[in-house]
Amino acid sequence: MEFIEADIAIVGGGGAGLRAAIAIAEADPGLSVALVSKVYPMRSHTVAAEGGAAGVVLDEDSLEAHFHDTVAGGDWLCDQDAVDYFVSQCTREMVQLEHWGCPWSRRPDGRPNVRAFGGMAMERTWFAADLTGFHMLHTLFQRSMKHPSIRRFDEHFVCDLLVDQGRAAGIVAVEIATGEFRAIQAGAVIIATGGAGRVFRQNTNGGIVTGDGMALAYRHGVPLRDMEFMQYHPTCMPGTGLLFTEACRGEGGLMLNKDGYRYLQDYGLGPPDPWPRKKAMELGPRDRLSQAFWHEERKGRTVTTPQGEAVHLDLRHLGRAKLQERLPQICELARDFLGIDPAEAPIPVRPAVHYTMGGIPTDVHAATSMDGLYAAGECASSGIHGANRLGSNSLAELLVFGRAAGEHAARYVREAAPAGGAALRWQAQDAQARARKVLAQAAGGERLAVLRDEMAQSMEHGCGIYRLEPEMQDTCRKLAQLKDRLAQVSLADKAAAWNTEWLGALELGFQLEVAEAMAHSALARRESRGAHQRLDSGITQRDDASFLKHSYAYRTHKGAPRIGWGDVVITRSQPGLRVYGGAAAPEAAHA
Amino acid sequence: MPDTRTIVLEVMRYDGAHDAEPRFQSYEIPFTDDMSVLQGLQHVKDHVDGTLTYRWSCRMAICGSCGMMLDGEPKLACRSFLRDFAPGPLRIEPLEHFPIERDLVVDIGDFVEKLARVKPWIEPRVARALEDGPYIQAPAELDRFESFSHCINCLLCYAACPQYGHDPGFLGPAATAMLQRYNLDSRDGAAKERMEVAHSEEGVWSCTAVGYCSEVCPKAVDPANAVNRTKTESAVDWFTRFLRRGD
Amino acid sequence: MAARRPYVRPMQPGWWRRNPYFVRYMAREATAPFVALYALILLAGLVCLAEGPEAWRAYIEALQSRGWLALHVLLVGIFTYHTFSWFAIMPKTLPPVIVDGRRLEAGAITGAGLAAATLCMWILWIVAGGAA
Repeated sequence: MEFIEADIAIVGGGGAGLRAAIAIAEADPGLSVALVSKVYPMRSHTVAAEGGAAGVVLDEDSLEAHFHDTVAGGDWLCDQDAVDYFVSQCTREMVQLEHWGCPWSRRPDGRPNVRAFGGMAMERTWFAADLTGFHMLHTLFQRSMKHPSIRRFDEHFVCDLLVDQGRAAGIVAVEIATGEFRAIQAGAVIIATGGAGRVFRQNTNGGIVTGDGMALAYRHGVPLRDMEFMQYHPTCMPGTGLLFTEACRGEGGLMLNKDGYRYLQDYGLGPPDPWPRKKAMELGPRDRLSQAFWHEERKGRTVTTPQGEAVHLDLRHLGRAKLQERLPQICELARDFLGIDPAEAPIPVRPAVHYTMGGIPTDVHAATSMDGLYAAGECASSGIHGANRLGSNSLAELLVFGRAAGEHAARYVREAAPAGGAALRWQAQDAQARARKVLAQAAGGERLAVLRDEMAQSMEHGCGIYRLEPEMQDTCRKLAQLKDRLAQVSLADKAAAWNTEWLGALELGFQLEVAEAMAHSALARRESRGAHQRLDSGITQRDDASFLKHSYAYRTHKGAPRIGWGDVVITRSQPGLRVYGGAAAPEAAHA
Repeated sequence: MPDTRTIVLEVMRYDGAHDAEPRFQSYEIPFTDDMSVLQGLQHVKDHVDGTLTYRWSCRMAICGSCGMMLDGEPKLACRSFLRDFAPGPLRIEPLEHFPIERDLVVDIGDFVEKLARVKPWIEPRVARALEDGPYIQAPAELDRFESFSHCINCLLCYAACPQYGHDPGFLGPAATAMLQRYNLDSRDGAAKERMEVAHSEEGVWSCTAVGYCSEVCPKAVDPANAVNRTKTESAVDWFTRFLRRGD
Repeated sequence: MAARRPYVRPMQPGWWRRNPYFVRYMAREATAPFVALYALILLAGLVCLAEGPEAWRAYIEALQSRGWLALHVLLVGIFTYHTFSWFAIMPKTLPPVIVDGRRLEAGAITGAGLAAATLCMWILWIVAGGAA
């Protein structure tokens, strides 16, 4: 097996991974960076993000307001020191990206424009039409090409970490084109592998969003934090789950039930102003809007489509010109997949899983509990999202914590003793053997897709928008069973080169671990907070006395994860009521 | 319960370990009106033949992974619908003009190298510190390059270009679109450097304005426009070089 | 284990026949030699003109033979397609044309070119008719 040395290995070439790589290259060009991604970086799922990235710019706005919106949006489960750091860095990162060429949409005076977004009291979402993630990713990827110290390992699938006496020391990856394994020995490792939304049936995520990095860390004893909090995005295409950006609502889109009624006013989000009032109605936070849909469906007030129940996202009143300028991709999606012209007809939408709030716990330096291991982006639990993420905080997070991870990893490798040793070679061989064992499993067993679909159905049922104890328990049992069945699955594809069925089996292994952490954490949190809502009697409300805590899922050698609890960092914002609707923002919206 | 219709997919297969050359394999699958070709392929891989190999991810025509030839035309599988090809047979082949790695997966390394060659990053015309805030860029200035920035690197344009097919040394449509994207960005000052990549047959001069690249582009980038404008600039550069002695 | 064995598909002769877009392109390219040919015919006429009225008269008479007339009819057809395809590709060679603060559509540029060409033909027809 080829053994390569690099100062820092980065797993994942999306927004966070690329930002980290560039940060290292700029801070310390003498350090070699190995950027390892299972897809070419421009295919990373950052590309699909649409609406925007937050950064305070307006005179009427303030870091304090961004802080408060984020903490309240997270239902007070946010680490407030992390939020403070985050909001203080957002604008700088947006400007940095602008200097690197990101084509932010502009106001007539040539300054970058900002728009309103869900749960935000003020316009602070920078945007590039409705292609913000796409433009950010391509800007970062192309910028990374400027730095010779960044060596890319495109289409290399990381199947394990190398750990030297409790310190991250590198990775083992399969070169997808050949099936050959390569080990990269590094002084520090940054995980930036994204979320795990594919463990659910209906989701906005691309096929690659399978929680790889979370599972890699988890298998080496790093706990996964707050995994019970999965964000449902309220406006997705029924069936495929494809995303219709929150910006549709930021620009003034309305959500109507089958009677043409703006139903959100029945769920504490009113009054139903004709203009978009911030933090009210359609600009409420995502968890509340998804929950409202669930109730409307129960009441039989949703629209029936061939792909299931939906409500209507009405953009007609925006007019064709504005739709073309601000929401061109949305128009394309509606036209190509649904045959609908948003200027003429409303779009059927429903909630689908979109974002993983939980992940590998990190501090403000993006450092994890393992020496030499950093994490940034959706795979991390940086503490800023708490129980529910506000839209446009995630794209900003990629940059803020991507940079933090890069700079701190760079400092770490300069100061720490070199990792390494013969033990790493043995570990790498063992990782190779374990991965190849999956390929060699006997014929006659089940097909991979059967297990994957059962996992996704079970997660949707047991860990949906509203959760019930017996259903979560069913899901936990089902996941344990699926893990056993995975060990017996038969692969039709025995080739070494480009064997995506085999890689799919490795991914399913990752997904089942992550799903277990999610389901068991959900079962253990006996309260309702943010995106984790339970219908069990007695636990339908927030319980700060017992559960103003982060959950930590620890992998056990066999069987269910062990769930522990840890404090939330509360500095100056004491838990209060999350107030949306007219009471939250009495002033009128800006243009 | 609607009638289940079926469609025949004729997919090109190739496994370098066993095959001397590619062959076709047929699959007949059930489909519904809203199923994309990608979903059809997923059905085959999941339930019929796990060895079928292809790239995909976002399912919404933004990641650029799933480019392939559908009945001889370069298309994105996630945005092409089985209903438009039924009952088939729909011939599915890997993107033309690229070496086949396996089945529908091609080697796109050549493009990635060309992308790097055009220096696809801003070299500021005027230096500016972060503390000074963003550059001012009027909407009209953004408009000059914005459509070129929409390229998702799906490479349908390279599959469309017969000149690239004849000579893979040609810089090609998407890479030239990125060259123009940066040259036209009001913040950038490295146009001269980038043009050095353009002045040869390995640059833009293999192009004979076929224009099919712009026809197949799923994002209306109009790479033919990028290449042909670059040709004009390259020609002007050449003819006026005497005026710039000492440059 | 397995080394990479990528398969390179050679471009097939007759590649252009499979796609109507390419057929039209090849037709466009095929008209170019005929433009060169006609330039030679006109050059011959110029030479004859320089040689004097006799030579000129002989040239004109030769061109009125059935063979030459047939060739000219064919050339008119070819040049019409040449003109049309030339203006069809012209928008691709231009930076955006801004009129009244809005970008001109490709169709408008092509249309304008074709209109100008038609106008020129009309004028020439009338002038040639007047001269004859």
